Amino acid sequence: MRVSICIGSACHLKGSREVIQKLQKLVTENGLDGEVDLNGDFCSGNCRKGVCVTVDGTLYSVKPETTEDFFKREILGRLNAGI
Amino acid sequence: MVTNDATLLRIKHDILYEVAKLAWNGQLEDGRDDIPYVISPGPQAKYRCCVYKEREIVRQRIRLAEGKCPTDRNTNNVVQVINAACEECPIASYTVTDNCRKCMGKACQNSCPFGAITIGNTKAHIDPDKCRECGKCAQACPYNAIAHLERPCKKVCPVDAITYDEYGICVIDEKKCIQCGACIHSCPFGAIGSKTFMVDVIRLINAGKKVVAMMAPATEGQFGPDITFSSWRTALKKIGFADMIEVGLGGDMTAAAEAEEWAEAYKQGKKMTTSCCPAFVNMIKQHFPELLDNMSTTVSPMCAVSRMLKAKDPGVITVFIGPCIAKKSETLDLNIQGNADYAMTYGEIRAMLRAKDVILEPEENDTQEASVFGKRFGNGGGVTAAVLQCLKETGENDDIKVARCNGAAECKKALMLLKVGRLPEDFIEGMACVGGCVGGPSKHKTEMEAKKSRDKLIAEADAREVHENLKNYDMASFSMHRH
Repeated sequence: MRVSICIGSACHLKGSREVIQKLQKLVTENGLDGEVDLNGDFCSGNCRKGVCVTVDGTLYSVKPETTEDFFKREILGRLNAGI
Repeated sequence: MVTNDATLLRIKHDILYEVAKLAWNGQLEDGRDDIPYVISPGPQAKYRCCVYKEREIVRQRIRLAEGKCPTDRNTNNVVQVINAACEECPIASYTVTDNCRKCMGKACQNSCPFGAITIGNTKAHIDPDKCRECGKCAQACPYNAIAHLERPCKKVCPVDAITYDEYGICVIDEKKCIQCGACIHSCPFGAIGSKTFMVDVIRLINAGKKVVAMMAPATEGQFGPDITFSSWRTALKKIGFADMIEVGLGGDMTAAAEAEEWAEAYKQGKKMTTSCCPAFVNMIKQHFPELLDNMSTTVSPMCAVSRMLKAKDPGVITVFIGPCIAKKSETLDLNIQGNADYAMTYGEIRAMLRAKDVILEPEENDTQEASVFGKRFGNGGGVTAAVLQCLKETGENDDIKVARCNGAAECKKALMLLKVGRLPEDFIEGMACVGGCVGGPSKHKTEMEAKKSRDKLIAEADAREVHENLKNYDMASFSMHRH
């Protein structure tokens, strides 16, 4: 599963680094290193929605404090549903 | 430096400069649309068929400078085709020229295994539908009348990632592309470029963030005999960077960690490859995934230095600066923790400096952060030399055989041999650019042009050993391995 997090300056200022660190930790803790591919993205111009996170082509707006929920819902949720 | 795109470098640089200037002043949103008219004021076109085309090309280059794809077709590749600038070079690759004497020997026709050659009224003719591009006819002709026309971009691509669409416009097969950037400066029309983080870095500096520059080991010598790392530190601080650090130090760190790994692997009879060149790493990942297990787990010098800086100050933003395009893709691989946040080229940082009226000035070097071995990481064979030095320092067996692969073609060959179990050497040093990083696509001077200055600057460094140098740093504060 390809998960990309925008690392542009606007998303950086909204906490993309924190989102990334949390996702890295969650992926490792859940033993998903081989299944979830974490990537950085150049700015896609959706700065108002930042931090922009794309999962298999769908754009989500994530905040550092919502990262864990997002991980459970969109990453674990999808993997468990076998999508 | 003479390259295929020598005259284009000026235009590319002017556009980066204009974008940087607006970004520094916080006026990019309002001023972006004016840049095409600054670069191509008209009414006459300077280089292309009309000013409208010239301006569209400028617009696409601005998008790249901002980290976007040149058109609205969004893809993840760092290396991108500026399709407005692509001149649809002829694809028919073997062509009969006027040198043809329509001779009686007809060696061309007789040598063609596919029956593609007929003899016309004035000269031989190659049927493009039958030609399989084996080149036998060109070798056979006694008059050198058959020319091999190949697209310059396609010719230099080491992984055959360049194709073209039905209109003849260059298309990059992103599954194959290893982001080495060789095609960028091979195109005489400047139709390939890379996304940049320049505007992001400027905005973060403007926002008051602590941004630290990490200069590639290949830097010394690139800007003449008097431009030292101290010159760079001074200039970068003037434009708002908090500090600058030599990535050669990371070279020392990577060499020490890799030496331990290699020593272990050697005892187990396992063959291994280096992991510091990002294009080489991409080559293994995308073209030889079965060899991932043979790739060293040591992180690159860029990542090592970034982790060290972040261990000390978690809020710091690390920016790598060097001659490399593939490093940009390494920063995008977030499976590696603590790596550099952004990577930039010399051209991009020079545009940032120029936009602030800052020039690099000669200065005595006042700090040495890397050993000579770390400093030489950017030269072909440099990684091997540093690893062998580390093995010697720790009393391990340094009698190992290393295939020093100079350039992507040699890398590919060695990996192929490793894959089929026929590699005679024990280890592979993979450098995707010929000459090593000093031959990188975004170099400022060629290896030969810079050699004298580089040798002079490196000769000024003291003779400290690798482990001796690392004692000055808190190596226990971060991991040297990918996971």
